[in-house]
Amino acid sequence: MVGIGLTNMLDTYISAEKYRGTELRYISHTTRRNPNSPWSRQLIYQGDVTYTHNRADNGNEMAGMLNFSYGKHYNWQMLDGKLDMKAGALADLNLGFIYNTRNSNNPGQMKAYFNITPSVEAAYHFNVKRTKLILGYELDVPLAGIMFSPNYGQSYYEIFSRGNYDHNIVPTTFISAPSMRQMLSLDVAIGKSMLRIGYLGDYQQADVNNLKSHIYTHALIIGVVKKFSIKNIRP
Amino acid sequence: MKKYIIILLPLIFSLASCVDEDEYSDTPNGNFEALWHIIDEHYCFFSYKQQAYGLDWDEVYQRYSKQMNSGMTEDQEFEVLGNMLSELRDGHVNMYSSFNVARNWSWHENYPSNYSDTLQNKYLGTSYKIATGMKYRTLDDNIGYIRYASFENGIGSGNMDDILSYLSACNGLIIDIRNNTGGLITSAEELAARFTNKEILVGYIQHKTGNGHDDFSSYEEQRLKPSSGLRWQKNVIVLTNRSVFSAANEFVKYMKCCPNVKIVGDKTGGGAGLPFSSELPNGWSIRFSACPMYDKNKVSTEFGIEPDYNVQLSQDDFLKGKDTIIEFARQLLAK
Repeated sequence: MVGIGLTNMLDTYISAEKYRGTELRYISHTTRRNPNSPWSRQLIYQGDVTYTHNRADNGNEMAGMLNFSYGKHYNWQMLDGKLDMKAGALADLNLGFIYNTRNSNNPGQMKAYFNITPSVEAAYHFNVKRTKLILGYELDVPLAGIMFSPNYGQSYYEIFSRGNYDHNIVPTTFISAPSMRQMLSLDVAIGKSMLRIGYLGDYQQADVNNLKSHIYTHALIIGVVKKFSIKNIRP
Repeated sequence: MKKYIIILLPLIFSLASCVDEDEYSDTPNGNFEALWHIIDEHYCFFSYKQQAYGLDWDEVYQRYSKQMNSGMTEDQEFEVLGNMLSELRDGHVNMYSSFNVARNWSWHENYPSNYSDTLQNKYLGTSYKIATGMKYRTLDDNIGYIRYASFENGIGSGNMDDILSYLSACNGLIIDIRNNTGGLITSAEELAARFTNKEILVGYIQHKTGNGHDDFSSYEEQRLKPSSGLRWQKNVIVLTNRSVFSAANEFVKYMKCCPNVKIVGDKTGGGAGLPFSSELPNGWSIRFSACPMYDKNKVSTEFGIEPDYNVQLSQDDFLKGKDTIIEFARQLLAK
């Protein structure tokens, strides 16, 4: 899937001002399931680039993020098989950066955090005339994890050139880093594939080492969903 | 398991909240409040300067907030905010607009320059060599002379080997960093590392851990490791004036700890706070000292470092075409 959206960024290590702009995102979302098991495995990797400007529109920040998530879900059905439900958890790794084009010794922020993330999904199957449709919703909310962060006024020179570490690996919880990713999608059958359009809301927040940060993204996504089956072939 | 997760997610939602920061309005008063709070929460020399000259940032707020009003022009707003920043007496504190840079350069403007381009050109002549931003030659009395005007760029290790190799037959070395207002602190370390054969303690650094005026980390040692390249083993004199600032000030701090090194000239300009940046609602960029650095005795070098020999340029020598400070250094090396 690819997406385009609006982003609102705040990182008080870099600036007291919020930056707003546009994000482009690529998402790969794979689910594997043995038909005989209620459990499925999910692998998500996504990357985004963001270009934003300050309120006065005379300063810019660029950001890039990579996200890898792997997890397991328990699957069950409701409403006579029309509603597929999943509940499980993801191991969620995020790597990235924010770069401010005009700062001095705090020109950017390295982003690196890992979360254990409870996850639920619902998919409702229905038809309009002869067209098969699936209305889906997915919600991932990190419960706890660890995060890299400089201390409040600590420079990257001190961390990486001098090797002075000071609470730079911080345990996080849903209180100190209340974040969420959600996706509402509609899959429309086209031939043997399905076209997916939807909304992605990605809200990454943290308040650690007295530094506040958030990246809020609201994106329109579009992509193709394909289903593959591996069958035993006997000669 | 499914029911636990379905219960857990609403619970997380109910306890989670937005991580946000109130933005001040883009008005003269909003910009004033934003600037005062940025400095109040991040500046690193409040207590030091309260002791040094009675700086009281709350009193500064009271005095300057009365000068702000919604009808003031951009120029007037810039002037009042710039004057407020000047109270910090810090060369690392600036405010940048599209039409001006607010600064307090009293650290060199209030003192004699002790440097002359005309004289320096006489000493360098025209056949000097240039490498990695350094101009260098051998003076008539077989003293090596390096003129290094800025630490803005990185120092090439191979270049430095070539320079020291070329000057290796000299009886001593003068490193003239007058008017060097700093740059990369790593360049200062790279150059100083050529003048010690063992790892030495050269100072301490701290950073803020919270928005209180005295919320600091513990003192972290700054240790200078000897370069793995060519190292100078003879006497060295570093020439300074009041315009030696920031990374150049750090270089002087490091060199004071190295053997066979003397500092000659005027007191340095200081600048011992690693600067960070922020900005106001109207987009004016702010620079301020964020991480304090100290000498090896944990004394701040924010207001400069005293030389071993305080020597001033004399008018008589200037008229004779002589640089008093360079001549003093040559005599010292000849002893």
